[in-house]
Amino acid sequence: MRVMASDSIYVSQIQESRYDRRIHSYRKHWAALIPTQFVIQNAGNMGILSAGIGWNYGHRKQWETDLLFGYIPEHQSSRGKLTTTLKENYIPWSVNSTFFLSSIRNKTIEQLSIEPLTASIYVNAVYGHEFWKSQPGRYPDKYYEFMSTKFRLNIALGQRITFQIPESKRKRNKNISIFYEVSSCDLYIRSLFQGNGISWDDIFGLSLGVKMQVL
Amino acid sequence: MRNYIRLFLFATCVCLYLTSCSDWFDTHPYDVNFKGDTDINERQIAVIESCFSEKDTLRVAFISDTHLWHSDARDGVADVNRRPDIDFVIHCGDLTDTGTAREFEWSREILQGLHHPFVALIGNHDFLGTGNQAYNVMYGDMDFSFIAGRVKFICLNTNATEYDYLAAVPNFDFLEEEMTKDSARFDRSILVMHAPPYSDQFNNNVCKAFRRYLDFLPGLMCCVYGHCHNNETNDYYDDGLMFYGIDCAEHRNYRIFTITPDGYEEELVYY
Repeated sequence: MRVMASDSIYVSQIQESRYDRRIHSYRKHWAALIPTQFVIQNAGNMGILSAGIGWNYGHRKQWETDLLFGYIPEHQSSRGKLTTTLKENYIPWSVNSTFFLSSIRNKTIEQLSIEPLTASIYVNAVYGHEFWKSQPGRYPDKYYEFMSTKFRLNIALGQRITFQIPESKRKRNKNISIFYEVSSCDLYIRSLFQGNGISWDDIFGLSLGVKMQVL
Repeated sequence: MRNYIRLFLFATCVCLYLTSCSDWFDTHPYDVNFKGDTDINERQIAVIESCFSEKDTLRVAFISDTHLWHSDARDGVADVNRRPDIDFVIHCGDLTDTGTAREFEWSREILQGLHHPFVALIGNHDFLGTGNQAYNVMYGDMDFSFIAGRVKFICLNTNATEYDYLAAVPNFDFLEEEMTKDSARFDRSILVMHAPPYSDQFNNNVCKAFRRYLDFLPGLMCCVYGHCHNNETNDYYDDGLMFYGIDCAEHRNYRIFTITPDGYEEELVYY
């Protein structure tokens, strides 16, 4: 016999059914695909500016995968070009510290952490009929064997500063990081070994960016 | 929130500004974004034609296939510079290995070390990605000619494989124009190309037709080519028309042609 007030919430099943468990895990797994961060950065052989979504994972959230979309302006070529980048970051250390941020209105305690090293590897694809994935059939075998003009493999090393936003002040983001990276691509690294008279400092470029951590 | 948006926009603007005006930032290897000299061939030809158009004896150095052998190429430039009797230099193509804008800047810097005027042809490697567009901006047209010492130097794009043989390469219309254009100013001609007939880049279906056309070039003395990374001398058609191969930078040699009213002499120089 069920006794309940007319305005009480009707709870018929206290025990989770098999279906509920199934749906729970179903939602949990699909929820893992919700991006945890938004990233925007310039240069880095991905275009003048790239922006996209990313996911962080691992025990200490030391791994990140970013999916970025970039734009290369026309410059002296025939047209502007779009690029897509899949980027994997490894952040071995994060050093926490607290500092007082004075503002005119109030004094707040801010949490700040420094990531002294980030290591990244990323693949960039550039779109356009002039770029090929592997050499077209018109060439003899292994003619330009060493390369694809469409895909570039890049490596980067960098550093970050992350500003933790106090829970009471959070609106959209948990924390915001600013970072820089020094990167180079496979063609340039190859040029060091393939040729002679090309130095390391000829082949690296700088990239600046912001990461907004939502989850 | 509004502060974040402002911060964000500010950071974006700073990034864009820095990317557009600094060498520190790399937009993309195939961005065709470079500073410095453009339309080099046109301006160098103006110098060559004004200095040497009526000269009796011409001394021309031919170099080729720089690729990424920059130290060797620099040594080659230094060696050419030690010969003040050379009038100008012709690079037979493959200024880069993968056609990136940065490689074009690198090889331009090397060639600008020459104390002599120079022109450069496009090689098949210079087509990769947006390389052909970069060549167009930095050097100019792929088929061009100029006259020095009453000799017309016809520089012809022969990299047909890069176009999957769909383009007019070699351009017979261009060759036809060159037979008669400025005919009062020259009596003889030299044909310069990157890939020679019967090579993997030439449209080999037209090798014999190509040879027929060459019969109509006034006083054709010989042909000069790059691409093969050797310094062979070939009589491809067994009819006495000589094709001189120019070696790559890695092999550290180049050719000097001395052209007199009676003919020409050719010298292979190792450095």
